[in-house]
Amino acid sequence: MRVRVADETRTGNVIDLRSYDLEITAVAEAIRDENTDSPVAIDCPPPGPAHAHVGAIRAGMAWSLRPALAAAARSRGHAPPQADALAEVRDLLDDLDAPAIDLRDARRRVAETTDAAEELREEVATLRGRVRALREADADPTDAEADLAETTRLLSEAETERIAAEQTLARAREQARADRERRRERLRLEDRAANLRRSARKSLADDVREAFEEAREKLPVDAEPPVSAALAVARVAALDAPVVVGTVESFDRVDALAEWVDAPVVRV
Amino acid sequence: MLLVVTYSRAARQTLRNVCNRHDEAVVQRFGRAALLDATELGAFLALRLREKHAGDVQLERTTTFNEFEEVPESVRDAAAAYEERDHASTPYAKFAVGTDHPDADAMRDAEL
Repeated sequence: MRVRVADETRTGNVIDLRSYDLEITAVAEAIRDENTDSPVAIDCPPPGPAHAHVGAIRAGMAWSLRPALAAAARSRGHAPPQADALAEVRDLLDDLDAPAIDLRDARRRVAETTDAAEELREEVATLRGRVRALREADADPTDAEADLAETTRLLSEAETERIAAEQTLARAREQARADRERRRERLRLEDRAANLRRSARKSLADDVREAFEEAREKLPVDAEPPVSAALAVARVAALDAPVVVGTVESFDRVDALAEWVDAPVVRV
Repeated sequence: MLLVVTYSRAARQTLRNVCNRHDEAVVQRFGRAALLDATELGAFLALRLREKHAGDVQLERTTTFNEFEEVPESVRDAAAAYEERDHASTPYAKFAVGTDHPDADAMRDAEL
C-alpha cells in the first residue's frame, strides 16, 4: 500500500502513523474510499466484505461477532444455502414496484365541494325566507326572487361538483385498495428476505466459527475480548485492504501482527 | 377511533415507535396496525405517519358496531342459526338452502 499524509508518502506492508494524531475511523474510511476529506490518502486493494467489521480495531470497539464472522466467510467465497431463495425473493420484490396512489387531492376536493354546497344550501334557505316575508308584507319580491334563482342555480352546480368529487374519491379508493394488496405482498416478501438474510448470516458464521476459535486461542498479542475477537476474525477473513489498529500497548509488534493477520496493517 | 394500517417495514417500525412513545393515545396495538384515540393527538400521530410513509399508511375512522341498530334481523338470525348447525362441516351456502335465511350472494350485494 501507499500512504500519503501531510506531504509525506510511505509504502510498505506495515505502516506506523503514530507520530500523526489520526482518528482510527478516518483512516479506515480512507481505506474504504468513504471519506474524501480525510487527512490521509491510502492506495491499496479494494476492501472485501469483512473490512467494514474488522478494518478498524481498537480498544473498546463496539461490534457484534456474528455479522463479522458472516462477512469473513463471504470474503472467503462462502455462499449460504439461502442464497438462491434470497435472490428469488429479491427478483419478486423488484417486479413489485407499484405506482403510488395519492388520495390527498381527491379527499381535499370532497371536503371543499361539500363545504361549498353546504354554504349555498344555507343561503338558498335564507333567500327563500326573505322572498316569503316580502310576499306576505305585500312588498316587491322581484330582486329577492332573482337572487334566489341565481343562488339555486349555483347550488345545483355545486351539488354536481360535490357528487363528481365523491365519485372520483370512490374510484381512487378502489385503486388504492388494489395498490395495498401489492404493498401487503411486498411487506411479506421483505419480511421473508429479512428472515433469509438472518439465517444466511448464521450459516455463514457457522462456516468459519471453528477457524475463528482456533485463531483466537493462538493470538500473538494480549488483548481485551472485543479486540482479540476482532483480530481473530481479521485472520480468518480475506481482507486484501489494510487493517488499522489503534493504540493498545501490546500492538507494538506490528510486523508480527500483520504477518499473523495476513493483511497489511496501519498503526495509529 | 382511528385505524392505522402499515404496508412497509419502515412504516411498521415508525408505528411501533409512535405507539411506544404515545401509549396514552393508543387504544389497541396489532402487529402492523393500531387503533388510536379519535382525538386531535391521535389524528396528529396518524397524519405524521402518513406524511412520512405516504401510501404505505392507510388511515380509516372506525365507529362502534351495534348489530341491533345496523344489521337486519334476518342476517343476525342467520349467523346465530349457522353457529348452531348440526354438522360443523356444512358450508353456509348449503345450510341456507330451503330455509328463510338469506343466501351469501344476496348478503354480499347488500350494503349495511
